[in-house]
Amino acid sequence: MENQHFRPLDLKKKMRLGETVIQTLLFIAGFLSIFITLAIVYELGKEAWLFFGNPDVTFAKFFGTTRWQPGIGQFGIWPLVTSTLITSFIAICVSLPLGLAAALFLSEYASPKARSTLKPILEVLAGIPTVVYGYFALLFMTPLLQGIFGEDVEVYNMLSAGLVMGIMILPLIASMSEDALSAVPRMLREGAYAMGATKYETSLQVVLPAALSGIGAALIIGISRAVGETMIVAIAAGSGPNFTFNPFKAAETMTGHIARISGGDLSYNSIDYTSLFAIAFMLFLVTLVLNLISEAIINKFRQRYE
Amino acid sequence: MSKTVRSLLFVVVAMSLLLAACGTPATVAPTVAPAPVEPTKAPEPTAAPTEDPMAMYAPDAVTGDIITAGSSTVFPLSERMAELFQQEGYTGNITVDSIGSGAGFERFCKTGETDVANASRAIKDSEVEACAALGREPVEFRLGTDALTVVVSAENDFVTALTKEQIGKIFTGQFTKWIEVDASFPDEAILVYGPGADSGTFDYFNEVVVAPLYLKADGKADTAAGKEALLGLAGAQFSEDDNVLVQGVEGSPYAIGYFGFAYFSENSGKLKAVAVDGVEPNQSTVDDGTYPISRPLFIYSDANILKEKPQVAAFIYFYLTNVDNEISDVGYFPAPDADLQASMDAWMTATGN
Repeated sequence: MENQHFRPLDLKKKMRLGETVIQTLLFIAGFLSIFITLAIVYELGKEAWLFFGNPDVTFAKFFGTTRWQPGIGQFGIWPLVTSTLITSFIAICVSLPLGLAAALFLSEYASPKARSTLKPILEVLAGIPTVVYGYFALLFMTPLLQGIFGEDVEVYNMLSAGLVMGIMILPLIASMSEDALSAVPRMLREGAYAMGATKYETSLQVVLPAALSGIGAALIIGISRAVGETMIVAIAAGSGPNFTFNPFKAAETMTGHIARISGGDLSYNSIDYTSLFAIAFMLFLVTLVLNLISEAIINKFRQRYE
Repeated sequence: MSKTVRSLLFVVVAMSLLLAACGTPATVAPTVAPAPVEPTKAPEPTAAPTEDPMAMYAPDAVTGDIITAGSSTVFPLSERMAELFQQEGYTGNITVDSIGSGAGFERFCKTGETDVANASRAIKDSEVEACAALGREPVEFRLGTDALTVVVSAENDFVTALTKEQIGKIFTGQFTKWIEVDASFPDEAILVYGPGADSGTFDYFNEVVVAPLYLKADGKADTAAGKEALLGLAGAQFSEDDNVLVQGVEGSPYAIGYFGFAYFSENSGKLKAVAVDGVEPNQSTVDDGTYPISRPLFIYSDANILKEKPQVAAFIYFYLTNVDNEISDVGYFPAPDADLQASMDAWMTATGN
């Protein structure tokens, strides 16, 4: 029997207007974040370019000298960069081991009841405003450090800011690591137990390496958070750029400096104004470089399990 | 059954919280009323006659907002006067920003954002020119006197008096350890705290204490060289917010800083004032002029602003008539009567009274 209305089979997707609209909107939303990032980089770069265009400023001065006071013609970026790196390093030294330990406990050792109680409490630490952390650093951590290490510790110092930043980042790293550890398939653990491994050996030598990519992602986010943190360092780390590697001394970070100087009043196109953008651009670069390095290291040690 | 009871309970609790939140303003107001007992005896006008034109400048007769910004030294005084002005019945908003005299003039003269500039130094010629470009002619009102106080921590048991020259050398890094200042002092590094370049306190300190150490070829003090030396001191902590400096100096027996007298008297338990050239800062030494680093405190406005915004004129009138009652409490010293009278006359001229 011939079908009079026979049409060749059309395998193309049927276009539905509603679907197309939603698809476009979601595409725009996804593209928006990339667009905003590019716009920010463009704005920073434009003003930073004005800064470097100033005849007083040379790349040699910017990268070669160690004093930052644009008001009197000193443009060495290093005091701010070293302070940022030192406080972030201290923060990571505190938060990474403690965060991983907390994550291991929550995923491997804790009973489901303990886990359901402890995890929300850990999340509370993440919810505390950073300005509160800043005053905690200034009014509690610094006297504590002065009690332990004596008079060497200045009122504003990098160590207490770094330690409190570590406390702030800890729930972030713990939470993300715990998710990564829980995502490791049971059969890896069971295989290890079957071979006679203890819980400790399984956790550290089987589960942890398997979850390394997730933990690496947590570390990268933690580093970015530490480098970009403003309030804690603005309140507790110091208010004058200082090129020093001694964590007991006061030294202003890049973010703290931007916060302090933009709190006053700057006329557009003054050297102080454009210098802020140069610092912000430098901050962006530092974060980017640290992220890339971390990612490269993580990828090298990553395991793929099937 | 329990589900409906529970949801009903939730609604009741939510409603009661909402009603309690809406209900509080009514209960707060009566507690504010007893406060303005003190200020009501304050407005005994020094020179202003009790005639009708002044009635339009009463706090409860004017409306609109007042925006002021500038010196951190003048800040506590302006804040106190703003508070009293509002207690007298003013209904608008008064904002007082503590950003440094230089920044205050910037907002007043370059961007025109503020109605009044607070300053702990006189306006510079370049700032007057910038104002002229905006069509503003600054009118100066002298309010009081500040004794710029050099402070150390109360834990510091070796410093009681320093000469102006020693102070200048400490803040520019020519002395880096206490033992260099005086052989009897301990061999410890000096921790320096001071305001940044936006601050009028900084400018005044530079002009009077530091610049005389750097003389130009013609024998005059070189303020540019002084500024460079002050800002270039490695490890010095700068902040326009004097509270940050207070915190820093309190924290170590080897720290030294400088700011307005009000911040010292507020924290006199934890700080110690250094006698400059043998003279300690207090009421009598400021009055008879023996304290070497006392300076006038000003607010600046413009005649057009005073005419177009009567609330600003009213505020300044209130300020000038009541400043002597409050200034000692805030921590500064009254201006000479002649200067206050001159300020009042300037107000009368500017408002066309």
